[in-house]
Amino acid sequence: MLWLDPHAEFDDVFNQLQEKLAVSKDFWQGVTVVLKQTERECCPKEKAQLEKLMGEFGMALKEHVADNPSSRMKTTREVDRDYALIVRRTLRSGQRVHHEGSVVVLGDVNPGAEVVAGGDIVVLGTLRGIAHAGALGEETAVVMALKLLPTQLRIAHFISRAPDHQDAPEPQGPEIARIRNNLITIHSYGP
Amino acid sequence: MAKVIVVTSGKGGVGKTTTAANLGAGLALLGRKVCLIDADIGLRNLDVVLGLENRIVYDLTDVVEGNCRLRQALIKDKRTDNLFLLPAAQTKEKDAVSPEQMLKLTEELREECEYIFVDCPAGIESGFKNAIAGSDEAIIVTTPEIAAVRDADRIIGLLEAAGLYDPRLIINRIRPQMVRQGDMMGIDDIIEILAIELLGIVPDDEDIIVSTNRGEPVVLDRRSQAGQAYNNIVRRLEGIDVPLMTLEEDGWLTRVKKAIMGRS
Ligand SMILES: Nc1ncnc2c1ncn2[C@@H]1O[C@H](COP(=O)(O)OP(=O)(O)O)[C@@H](O)[C@H]1O
Ligand SMILES: [Mg+2]
Repeated sequence: MLWLDPHAEFDDVFNQLQEKLAVSKDFWQGVTVVLKQTERECCPKEKAQLEKLMGEFGMALKEHVADNPSSRMKTTREVDRDYALIVRRTLRSGQRVHHEGSVVVLGDVNPGAEVVAGGDIVVLGTLRGIAHAGALGEETAVVMALKLLPTQLRIAHFISRAPDHQDAPEPQGPEIARIRNNLITIHSYGP
Repeated sequence: MAKVIVVTSGKGGVGKTTTAANLGAGLALLGRKVCLIDADIGLRNLDVVLGLENRIVYDLTDVVEGNCRLRQALIKDKRTDNLFLLPAAQTKEKDAVSPEQMLKLTEELREECEYIFVDCPAGIESGFKNAIAGSDEAIIVTTPEIAAVRDADRIIGLLEAAGLYDPRLIINRIRPQMVRQGDMMGIDDIIEILAIELLGIVPDDEDIIVSTNRGEPVVLDRRSQAGQAYNNIVRRLEGIDVPLMTLEEDGWLTRVKKAIMGRS
């Protein structure tokens, strides 16, 4: 969802948007953007400009005429972490899931598979592949798994990878990864 | 009802062709009528493994292009009466056969045989897609190596996407000694990742190389361990409950048993 701030200059908004999009390029592939025009109407030229930008990132632009003028004004959409996608299977090598909210996998994420979420990632199984939580920059996002053995973990723009030696101890229970003091840290999770 | 079973792996050189030849020969020995389709067009070798290379006149591509009738292209095995081979063309491109043609061919073969095995090319491109088109079951072959298991996992996902569910697994070239020392992936590690039914394990065995070069499937050699292993798999395909073979190391065997029990 894209809200246009009625008080901002279109060019400023446009440039800001372009920057945000460029940060996480792949994430936007296939996304449909709804343009919400509340107190601010786009002229056709502006609309065409937006459409072109969306196209560059593999997105489609849809128009939505506002119904609620008191809705918040935002230059970019806000990630709704409570809006989760449930994946009811094991993700195998080469399979990739991305979702703007949070992702819950009812199965494993195998080596070579990848989950990218704007919000949190919860794996009710073993996570051996790659997980990227908070992919739009949300640093409070977390990754949880019953067995956390990822090839690589990313939260917002932080990256950590599996230790190179293979005989690191296996986790004894569910674990949670989050950013603490600018580092991805892993703690056991549970009562 | 005839079964069409594709033997596939993703990674090359893990033992698809060896497996197809041995399962076919083993089932034929039990009296089943079996046809092996070599779908590895351009890199055929099922005929060599079976020692039938010198009998090829027509091939798979000739059949689908209508250059000959199916019966004319089928080569009868020299040892068993009820094993047939439909060889691949050596000189054609991988996608010389379309999925539709493959489907039509397997439907026709169902009339003739009880088991039809499709020896699949390595990779995930068109050759793979064509090969699986007519199959209703899949056997995945892997070796205890990380790269092979990774590719097997990818193939399982692709098979699911194509509507082929619940493939069964054969782990080939196991070396008990290495597994015991922790230098090779164990069976339970592999099953934990792939999470599919284990159909059998085959040890790494020189007999396979000798028999391949002689054009005699190892399953015909009762004294060889690999032959025994394939025999067990054949009987499991027939619905007989055969325990996993003992390969001297018993610590290893109990681990294997655990892996099988845990998932069935
Ligand atoms: N269990 C085994 N022990 C020893 N050698 C093997 C075994 N299985 C296969 N091989 C050898 O490995 C090579 C590749 O096998 P092949 O069946 O042609 O693989 P693929 O069809 O998957 O490419 C062959 O030379 C074969 O003899
Ligand atoms: Mg082969």
